[in-house]
Amino acid sequence: MAAARAPAFLIALSLFAALRTSPAARAADEADDVASTATSAAPFQDARFGPRYVIDEVIVRGNHKTQKSIIVAEVAALGLFPGAAVDASDPRVETARYRLLTLGYFLDVRLSVTRGVSRGGVVLIVDVEERGTVVINELFPSTSAATAFWGGADVSETNLLGRGINLGAGFVASTTPVVPGAQSGLGLRLRAVVPPIGGPYGLSLSATVLYNNGSEFQRVMGAADDADPRNFIGAPVQRAGGVLGVGKDFRSGLHATLHVREEVISAELPIVAPPPVVDFMVYDGFSRLGSVTAGLDVDTRSDPILPRSGVRMALTVEAATGLLGSSYDFFKAVAEGSFYRPMPHGHALGFHVFAGAIAGDAPFFDRFFVGDLNLLLPRRALGINFSTQPSRNLLDTSIAHHRYDNYAGRVLIEYAIPIWRRRGFVYGGDAFVAAGLFGMASNGDAVAPGPFSWHSLPIDVTGDLGLRLDTYVGIFTISIANALSRSSF
Amino acid sequence: MVVRKRSYTIAAVVAFAATLAAAAPTPAQADEPLPQRTTGLVVKDGQLLISVGLGDLFGPAERQRLTSGFSTRVLIRVALQEASGDDVVSLAVQRAEIVYDIWDEKFSVRVTRGLGAELRAIVQTADESIWRATALWQLPIADARRMRPNVRYVVMARGDLNPISEDLMADVRRWLVQPAHGQRKLGAGDSFFGSFVSIFVNPRIEDSERQVRFQSQQFLLPPTPPAPLPAPPRPPPTPGRPGAAGRAGKATP
Repeated sequence: MAAARAPAFLIALSLFAALRTSPAARAADEADDVASTATSAAPFQDARFGPRYVIDEVIVRGNHKTQKSIIVAEVAALGLFPGAAVDASDPRVETARYRLLTLGYFLDVRLSVTRGVSRGGVVLIVDVEERGTVVINELFPSTSAATAFWGGADVSETNLLGRGINLGAGFVASTTPVVPGAQSGLGLRLRAVVPPIGGPYGLSLSATVLYNNGSEFQRVMGAADDADPRNFIGAPVQRAGGVLGVGKDFRSGLHATLHVREEVISAELPIVAPPPVVDFMVYDGFSRLGSVTAGLDVDTRSDPILPRSGVRMALTVEAATGLLGSSYDFFKAVAEGSFYRPMPHGHALGFHVFAGAIAGDAPFFDRFFVGDLNLLLPRRALGINFSTQPSRNLLDTSIAHHRYDNYAGRVLIEYAIPIWRRRGFVYGGDAFVAAGLFGMASNGDAVAPGPFSWHSLPIDVTGDLGLRLDTYVGIFTISIANALSRSSF
Repeated sequence: MVVRKRSYTIAAVVAFAATLAAAAPTPAQADEPLPQRTTGLVVKDGQLLISVGLGDLFGPAERQRLTSGFSTRVLIRVALQEASGDDVVSLAVQRAEIVYDIWDEKFSVRVTRGLGAELRAIVQTADESIWRATALWQLPIADARRMRPNVRYVVMARGDLNPISEDLMADVRRWLVQPAHGQRKLGAGDSFFGSFVSIFVNPRIEDSERQVRFQSQQFLLPPTPPAPLPAPPRPPPTPGRPGAAGRAGKATP
């Protein structure tokens, strides 16, 4: 197995070497860096320059679709409201402009003042140029040995009716898998997020409706590393339900959420003859799932797409209980962290950790799935798995036995090299290489039969190598893991 | 079966490699030369001084926005380096700010060079304020005694209109991906590498609103004497104000 992949990584490594920054580009970047340092050391002695105004009124122009109240609330959150004082060189003016631009509703935003009723008083004018607000969040085209094709998209209208409401929909559909008993898959999502009540730091409400009709594949014969779909059996499972949520952004950069989920699950579990022990991880017939989830997220990264420094940490805890009408009682905790450290020449070192644990009886779609942990495997699309591929087992361990588990962890180290920084269609691009370990286990796996051997540990190597591009039309990742996970055989 | 698996894997990787090669910028793209702009160079009191204008940092729209009542900032960075090498020998910075007074209908300009004193002026026209903010007139860039003889040098220049501070840029980048209004994707995993494509139209957010970059002609110093300086540039004439051309305004050190 490993020998078959050797040429692949040699090709990729040679490409990676060829993509290193040219000396001239490096020199220009260094000059910019040095000049940038000098700039920060030589500010104006007095930051204030020009007259001070008192805002008499705020006027919004050019908002044919977006409600004025949304724009005024964003500006007011920075202290720019009637009666407030503002300097001609006040940095809040620029911040307000960019804050409005990042809402995604506008192509351009400009702030200006005209004379007010008396000298010193001004009318603050916010000129906006609106744009189309439909965005594509994700595309799901893939193929595997078990499912010839699955595809779909996740699309959002980010400014519905000009009220700042984000209405999104996603779907994924597949051909009929070649796994016996399996049916073609269909996943649907419809979600809405309402702007925060009372300004950007108020409470925002959200709702998601979900429908999944797919088949989960369970092995009934064959070796653990044999992905032949004929070794599996399909268990058709339908899910329908929704999630209600509330979220809040804090000025410190902290984001907190609380979600309540209710689902109805219908499963037609096949009768396997001769009967091996197959745990379908879902109840036969109708069952319900009710849970409440709390989340905290803090992000200080220098750039969410091509970060050079900072930290992003997220913690979620979910409890499913009969008190919420759930047939499944479980507690799930997930912690994720990414830590970035700048390196010489604009390079960056990233350290990523993931840890999750489930206590209790969670259905398969809430358990940790190998495809979501191993970058080289197809991950679930809208919660549906379309592949029978086990982990690549590059360390010759017992990982091939593990697909769904209650405990999971992953550690990744990433090194990124900037290869492209300029204006134009592609804002920036990083070549990156990442490598790490992941492991999965469930209750009972900790006590392996016989003497201890690291071959019995359910761990494997994962990694990636490729380009991450930040462009005018979105974020593109072109990498080995993407290629392998979307054409998994 | 094993042979088939291997061939699929190799085919996938070859396809990936081809995609990667096509997507990667070519060396020619990465090394695209900066345009050349003739730059005045002179050695005075042991200092290399340069003179060049960056008035094109302001287009018609930017010029019109000067009367917004809020400040317009200009940052010009110049670096001296050997033409054959990558090392920056020295650098200099000029910052300027323009504010239009909506009651007095005049432009206030302040300019500072490096850690030097701040020069302030009140001028009548937008053109004059632009000239004061963007003209590099005998800007000291290097100690000439530290420059090597018979070595060719070049000056790299970059002007930015309303440059964004690093802190604001960091906030902007965060807001872009984690926008205000709590519009985070629900139920979506934050897959580090997972998304092949996430398509949206970025608003016009870069590290400044407008940018001009160029390099000077290559030059030797000494023994080749620098080209004689042209006459000092004069502010553009004030439209509709005969005789106002060249009026320097009221300047205070």
